[in-house]
Amino acid sequence: MRGASTGIVYGGLKYQARCIADVKADTDHTSFLAGTLSLKEENEVHLIRLSTPGLELVCEGLFYHPNEIWDLKSCPFNPRIFSTVFTSGETYGASVWQIPQLNGQSNAPQLEHLISLNEHSFKIKCVLWWPSGKNDKLISIDEGNLFLWSIDTSNKMAKVISQESVGMRHNLSGGAWDPHDRNAVAGICDSSLEFWDLRTMKKTSSIEQAHARDFDYNPKKQHLLVTAEDISGIRLWDLRSPKFPVKELPGHAHWTWVVRHNPEYDELILSSGTDSTVNLWLAHPPGADDLMSESPVDSPKRSKDSLLNSYTDYEDSVYGLAWSTRDPSIFASLSYDGRVVVEWVKSYIRRK
Amino acid sequence: MDEKAKRTRELLASFYSTDPSAGGGAGVGAAVSPRKMASPDSINSLSFDPDVYMSLLVQKLNLEGLLQKHVEMAAEIKNLDTDLQMLVYENYNKFINATDTIKRMKNNIVGMEANMEQLLAKITSVQSKSDLVNTSLFEKREHIEKLHRTRNLLRKVQFIYDLPTRLAKCIKAEAYADAVRFFIGAKPIFEAYGDSSFQDCKRASEEAIDLVIKNLQAKIYLDSEPIEARAEAVVLLKQLNFPVDSLKTKLLEKLEDYLMTLQDEHKETGASAMDTLETSEPSDIGKLSDTILSLKTPTDTNMASVGEISKIICAYLIIFPDSERRLIELIQDLFTKRYGIIEQRVKERMTSADILKMIRVIWEDVILMDDVLAEAALPAFSLEAARSIIRQFISTSFSHLLLEVSDALTKSQPTPQKGSEESSLQNTLEGSKKAVIQGSLDLLLEFRQLLDDNLELLAKLRDLIVDWVQEGFQGFFQKLDEQFLGLCGRGYIANPISSVIDAVQVDKVQTGLVLVLAQLSVFIEQIAIPRIMEEIAASFSGGGARGYEHGPAFVPGEICRIFRSAGERFLLLYINMKTQKISILLKKRFTTPNWTKHKEPREVHMFVDLLLQELEAVGIEVRQILPQGLVRRHRHSDSTGSTNSSRSNPTREDKLTRTNTQRVRSQFLESHLAKLFEQKMEIFTKVQYTQESVISTIIKFCLKSLQEFVRLQTFNRSGFQQIQLDIEFLKNPLKEFVDDDAAIDFLLKEVIGAAHERRVYLQLFFKFNVIQ
Repeated sequence: MRGASTGIVYGGLKYQARCIADVKADTDHTSFLAGTLSLKEENEVHLIRLSTPGLELVCEGLFYHPNEIWDLKSCPFNPRIFSTVFTSGETYGASVWQIPQLNGQSNAPQLEHLISLNEHSFKIKCVLWWPSGKNDKLISIDEGNLFLWSIDTSNKMAKVISQESVGMRHNLSGGAWDPHDRNAVAGICDSSLEFWDLRTMKKTSSIEQAHARDFDYNPKKQHLLVTAEDISGIRLWDLRSPKFPVKELPGHAHWTWVVRHNPEYDELILSSGTDSTVNLWLAHPPGADDLMSESPVDSPKRSKDSLLNSYTDYEDSVYGLAWSTRDPSIFASLSYDGRVVVEWVKSYIRRK
Repeated sequence: MDEKAKRTRELLASFYSTDPSAGGGAGVGAAVSPRKMASPDSINSLSFDPDVYMSLLVQKLNLEGLLQKHVEMAAEIKNLDTDLQMLVYENYNKFINATDTIKRMKNNIVGMEANMEQLLAKITSVQSKSDLVNTSLFEKREHIEKLHRTRNLLRKVQFIYDLPTRLAKCIKAEAYADAVRFFIGAKPIFEAYGDSSFQDCKRASEEAIDLVIKNLQAKIYLDSEPIEARAEAVVLLKQLNFPVDSLKTKLLEKLEDYLMTLQDEHKETGASAMDTLETSEPSDIGKLSDTILSLKTPTDTNMASVGEISKIICAYLIIFPDSERRLIELIQDLFTKRYGIIEQRVKERMTSADILKMIRVIWEDVILMDDVLAEAALPAFSLEAARSIIRQFISTSFSHLLLEVSDALTKSQPTPQKGSEESSLQNTLEGSKKAVIQGSLDLLLEFRQLLDDNLELLAKLRDLIVDWVQEGFQGFFQKLDEQFLGLCGRGYIANPISSVIDAVQVDKVQTGLVLVLAQLSVFIEQIAIPRIMEEIAASFSGGGARGYEHGPAFVPGEICRIFRSAGERFLLLYINMKTQKISILLKKRFTTPNWTKHKEPREVHMFVDLLLQELEAVGIEVRQILPQGLVRRHRHSDSTGSTNSSRSNPTREDKLTRTNTQRVRSQFLESHLAKLFEQKMEIFTKVQYTQESVISTIIKFCLKSLQEFVRLQTFNRSGFQQIQLDIEFLKNPLKEFVDDDAAIDFLLKEVIGAAHERRVYLQLFFKFNVIQ
């Protein structure tokens, strides 16, 4: 299980970093955006591209970013646009940026600042883009509120369409847009997962008892999602029966930080944790043929879900994880020490 | 001589046949003609031609021959002549005789007619005289005949008048057969004249016969009567057109009642047997049973009553040959009920000795019954019943065991007082260990009794029992595993439907219990299973009713595997629960204050105390349950030196605060480089079932969590100092918990390092605020 270091390492990030995002809109290359997290230095955003033979990670662009980046998301329809959430001590903010036209030189030109999402009164947690395709909708989540924005990138305009507050007692820490139902958005709220309908901005349902740190919708099957939790490791849920998880995976030795479905092969789940590993799991989502697996623990079905590989060649906790949309057999991981590692999972895809 | 006779005949023939051509002449001629053709020299033929013959002779014979022929012929002629003479004489003689006879007849016939007439006259006179006598006697004869008839009638009447007394006499003599015969004889008369002349008589005799019927009924009901007599009585009743069927049903009902009472009795005796078994020593059974009125020892009563039943049934079979089916039903019903009682009882916990006793008692009865009523197929029936009883027994035994084990686990749970908690976990562990191993061994012992018993019924079930026991253990341990999961609130993994309630209470699960479960799982895997396996191999091998392709029902390897993983899971769960608890504590600590506006640290923050308290509690729990492990130094210990030098040293921090950003950056690189050269710290090693391993794992996890929490915050100088202070304070107490100084040092340093990285400098604040 212990994987040898087969991945390609990009050591260009000079500072600690948490965020890496796949550039979905870039159809010609497999590229990732990574943002650094340094209190004391000028932070950078790196546009990293996998060279065509797939042997090297090349820095396509290096841009200065004023504050340390806690969240970075790439725009699904424009490869040059991305959003960041940043803080600096007490201050915080969320912005949409545009990468300036590159003229072959990559020595840190300034990013073009498009929009500031500055309606927030709490610490901003994340920004969500419309799941795929061109749309002007954007969601930003802070500790106590959920904002739905309508943005116009060309005119650098943004206005709040609607807003929902979760109340003082709760504490939002993350969220995701349902790729199957564009009117549904989910947020991590203390010990539960809450779901909102964007049309009414009202809560529709929730999964209690989920101390989630991160979660991800199944890209292929509606109602299914996976959560990463401190106690329970990785759990798979079906929203139609939110009382109990459908499946459990052991997760990581310490906290499981991120969990991601493969965009193409939804039974492949990638997770990274503070034990400095990235784990690749095979977890068949419950389907129609799953009825028989209700029976005992030793049913063959259960044994099929397993840890496929554990990538351990990291020096520090791995907070950033991104599958490539262009080539689903590639993922990039980012450990706190600023190392980006790209790995291939082809052999596991074939094996299924 | 022959020749002579022949010739004579021919001569006679020619003599008597007047016309040779007519009267068979045609036939003879036809027959002779070929001969004539063939032998013209034959003298005897009809168409004999002397000339031809002569010429032939002359031609054929010489002289001497001719002479000889001549002599021959002359002799023949002479002979013929004498023959002819003889014939003539004889005929003549006959003729004379006939004439004589005719003459004599003529003489005799004269005077015969007169005699005949005389005879006729005499006969006529005799005839007339006889007629005379006949007419004169006719009247008297008629009279005599009439008298005779009257006498017969009178005798019959007399019989009928005597019938009542006669019947009474018969009744007195108990000669019911005669009585019935008499009555049936008289019955036609009664039917004809009963309303008029013989009214009294009829009534009296009917009364008498009623009495007879009554007596007969009584006789049938009387069990003391010999069976033949009773059978006879039934036959008699049948002759009297008495409705025997109702009688039969009544009798059968009676039998049924009897059986019912017997059952009740049996129930009582069963109950009392149970009582005796429960309340007193086996030797007291006799004494105790005396008090239960007529029931001596339970088995005796059963024996006696079943013996009786079998006798009764035997009798009924003879009395009512057509009642067999009903009887079979009754008996089967009886045994079904009796087995039912056992089955009922099996639902409670009882020893196999009891079961055996009960089955044996019934089996004896069954054998007894089988002799009488073989058609009821009682042995097969019993086999079936015993099968289900034993099966149920085995399964209930296992479920009881399961209950006992979980009882042992949960019993001490609701009393978590501080004082008693010291040893309660240990008690729970010991108790549940004992429950598992002792319970299993006891069960095996019980089941062995079933096997060792020489009861024929059970011998047939031997293979099945072996299989059931093995299956039972397999199922038991699987269920036990599920139960364990359920106990720690994770039941939904194994069984998503049934444990809805359990799963909700995840938070309420006691961490100590989880630890107990972990250790218990190890115990089961390492000690209980091998032990049970041995036992099973010793006395429950074989089986094989399942067929070889399925293999044995009990797969210890699988169970071991289940419990090994369960043990690991519980241990991890325990650690997880504990770290989670501490993690919540830490989360509160780090999310509540505004670290960027932290004031100068005055004292160690109280979360440190809470943390140490938690760890103390863990220590108490762990020390109770887990064994002490060998002191194992962490592998990292040899590289501490290099860490010390390269990592940021808390004492130097003040100096660092004044360094510029360039310095910070180089320091980041420096620590990076240091990390590269440093041996990678293995924090997440495999947990062992020892106190030290568990505690140190928990502490490591906590410190790691601490580090992660720190990384999520931004500190000002005072905040950073607060962290430094807290960590310094933690250092020594933590080292008391764990021997692995190096790991603790490393992790604490990591925390401080993380805090340092997240420490903000005032000038930077300004800088970035300006930019924004």
